[in-house]
Amino acid sequence: MSATPAATPPRVAPFLIAEDLVKRYPGVVALDQASGAIRSGLILGLLGKNGAGKSTLIKILAGAVRPDSGRILFDGEEVQLHGPLDATRLGVAVVHQELADVPNLTAAENVELGLGYPKRLGVFVDQRALRARTREALDMLGGRIEPGSPVGRLSIAQRRLVMIARGLVSNARLLILDEPTASLTDTEIDHLHDVTRTLRDRGVSVIYVTHRLDEVFKVTDRVGVMRDGKVVHAGPTAKITKAQLIEHITGAADLAPERRRRRVEGPSGGEELLRVEGLTSPDVVEDASFVLRRGDLLGIAGLVGAGRTELVRLIYGADQGSGRIFVQGRERQIGSPRDALAAGIVLLPEDRRQQGNVLDFSVRKNITLPHLSRYRHGGRLPLPNRDAETEHARSLIERLAIKVADAEHPVRYLSGGNQQKVVLAKWLDSGADIFIFDEPTHGVDVGGKEEAYRLMEELAIAGKGVIFISSEFTELVGVCNRVLVMREGRIVDDLEGDDISDQTLVARCYAE
Amino acid sequence: MTVKEPVSGKRGGVSTPDAPAEVAAPASRNAGRRAEVILAKYGVLVAFLVVIVVFSLARPESFPTVENLKSILASAAPALVIAAGLTVVLVMQDFDLSFGSMIGLGAGAAVVLMANEGWSWPVAVAVAIGFGVAGGALNGYLVSYLRGPSFIITLAMGTVLTGIEFAITGQKTIFSGVPAGYTSIGQDELLGLNNMVWIAALFAALLWAALDRTEIGRYMYAVGGNAEAARLAGVRTRALRLVGFVVVGVSAALVGVLISSQSASYSPSPGVAFLLPAFAAAFLGSACFRPGEFNIPGTVVGVLFLGVIQTGLTMLDLETYVINLVQGGILISAVLISRLGQRVT
Repeated sequence: MSATPAATPPRVAPFLIAEDLVKRYPGVVALDQASGAIRSGLILGLLGKNGAGKSTLIKILAGAVRPDSGRILFDGEEVQLHGPLDATRLGVAVVHQELADVPNLTAAENVELGLGYPKRLGVFVDQRALRARTREALDMLGGRIEPGSPVGRLSIAQRRLVMIARGLVSNARLLILDEPTASLTDTEIDHLHDVTRTLRDRGVSVIYVTHRLDEVFKVTDRVGVMRDGKVVHAGPTAKITKAQLIEHITGAADLAPERRRRRVEGPSGGEELLRVEGLTSPDVVEDASFVLRRGDLLGIAGLVGAGRTELVRLIYGADQGSGRIFVQGRERQIGSPRDALAAGIVLLPEDRRQQGNVLDFSVRKNITLPHLSRYRHGGRLPLPNRDAETEHARSLIERLAIKVADAEHPVRYLSGGNQQKVVLAKWLDSGADIFIFDEPTHGVDVGGKEEAYRLMEELAIAGKGVIFISSEFTELVGVCNRVLVMREGRIVDDLEGDDISDQTLVARCYAE
Repeated sequence: MTVKEPVSGKRGGVSTPDAPAEVAAPASRNAGRRAEVILAKYGVLVAFLVVIVVFSLARPESFPTVENLKSILASAAPALVIAAGLTVVLVMQDFDLSFGSMIGLGAGAAVVLMANEGWSWPVAVAVAIGFGVAGGALNGYLVSYLRGPSFIITLAMGTVLTGIEFAITGQKTIFSGVPAGYTSIGQDELLGLNNMVWIAALFAALLWAALDRTEIGRYMYAVGGNAEAARLAGVRTRALRLVGFVVVGVSAALVGVLISSQSASYSPSPGVAFLLPAFAAAFLGSACFRPGEFNIPGTVVGVLFLGVIQTGLTMLDLETYVINLVQGGILISAVLISRLGQRVT
């Protein structure tokens, strides 16, 4: 578990060079003459705000996207990547931030997909050998994933582990990890760091994309920073300070202060907003009961698979279960998200691509979707007034600093973090009393995280009730005035005030 | 609730068009890209115009005439009604393969009630439309609430509907006893155009307004784009999908009325011929105006395109097999062209 970076990487020519890459999307210049290089056997941290161009660069290296101009050189030779297969042949393996797996295949089948399954008689897939082979990689990641279970039944974090395992078994020369630790637990993260270092010591290059600065210093040898589609800094990690890094990322020294430790002041004894009694969904959530009061910023901590997302989906009526839900003292039958909205509950889902946005809709149409009836032309007829919609959308684009040239751009072309902001924008003015944020900071840059914290705090101060699910304990400790701990589908703790600390959360989440 | 302005005005959310954006653009590739987008958006329209010009040059005395235009419009009218209805379910990514049978049921029910039972024609029409509502609602319930896959459910439902049609009509051709009031629907003219043209135009305009200008239409497109996101946003996805099937059912029954009034008769299974043209027109339409997205104006163009090709090829006295090859080829090309617009990743 040593955290020392490789002392002095051997001075050899970089095996991968990217030169002046340019990539445009409608209304956005994703890459603007970005250049960079990486040698064998080191870990390169890649940083930058949402929309800085990291994902696009990765997609180009992975052969998933072709640049408008620029060159890529492998071992000094220019290569044309016409598709992911070309990249795979050159030894590039990518673990994308968004899931790119086949839900109906097993974990083992996903891990080895396209890499050549072991066969019997040259034809039939040897499931036993396949699973044995995969088990090794999965165990290495410590995710307790059965090689034979269908990936669709795993949680998002477990599915990411499967994709990481896929990169491991393909013996790649270049492993690109796009925010691999987002929504992983601390132990899993440590495991992953160990694995990453082991791979590096075997001569593999790793491009490690992350928003967590502490990770950069823990695991990377060199660091590259992107801003506005350009690589603005590249150098050894040992020779840069956190403050300098932030300056490179934001382009200004004063923009991202060290996150302060905050507590929501306010009456935790405020009026009861939401009471949940005995909420149960077989095998997922068991007998969950808690109370949310006005002014609460209630965190839910727990390991992957502890039932956090499932619990809030029950409250929101997105899934069906048993139990009773009281809103402001009145029992409500919540059988659908529509019922929940009528009761003043909103949910910002975890998986923004699958659940958060209609990707082919413009930013405007996504933002107004939940309350379209507010933007009617004068009278009562249900005819949306586009001008009013646009005005509203523009104000939110500005307020949340969503990086998009125009409200009419399809959400599909926005970066992941900006898509998350569109989800936020949808619910911001919904007039609801109870806000549930499921991993709102997952994959969001430093500034975006601050924005999300401030937003939740302001909601709480304004007398709303906020539920905040996060896999990063420090976030919960920093922001929440109460934290529920979930373990194996049950709420095992309801911590308040000074009882909330990193140590307690770790201890309670892992307690057997 | 208040949320502060973004920290720095300079780095605010709306990115102004950057100066570097214009630098070092590989002009040829950009031009190619633009050409692709234009082709995707207007390719079908251009092809449509080219086809019209070709036929006009080939048959200058018969093709580019007012009479021919009126005849094309009249024959395209029933196809437009069903293609427009079908567009509504396609928008929500559902399929309806039962409408061919519903056309037959609508026609059969109306004609039998008038010819054999002596009912007045407005009542007969109302009953036929009622069948459309009921059949569509049943489709919608099975698909949307009981979660049957629409492809196979509606295919099976088509067989059921044809069974009902045959039970009502005894699978016999009926060509007497159809009242004049009924036949005037499909035979008379208003302002120089067949009534059916006006009915179809009105119907398509209504559906266009509903899909493009109302909340329900917006929700329908949202369901098609991402049903789960729409549901979590509070959209009544199941009800909307059911409504879509009802719209198709009503469209189909209406077509049944139109074609039986035009021919003043009923013959078994008259709707089968509409299956391919309706889908073809809707998919051609999805290659128009809003590439990759089903839309009513596009569907209108698609229907007219197919009508023109049908008439034009017939005028050229081509063999049937040539007509088949050309029609199929045009459809495949058009759908592929519409995909160009989405190739941006």
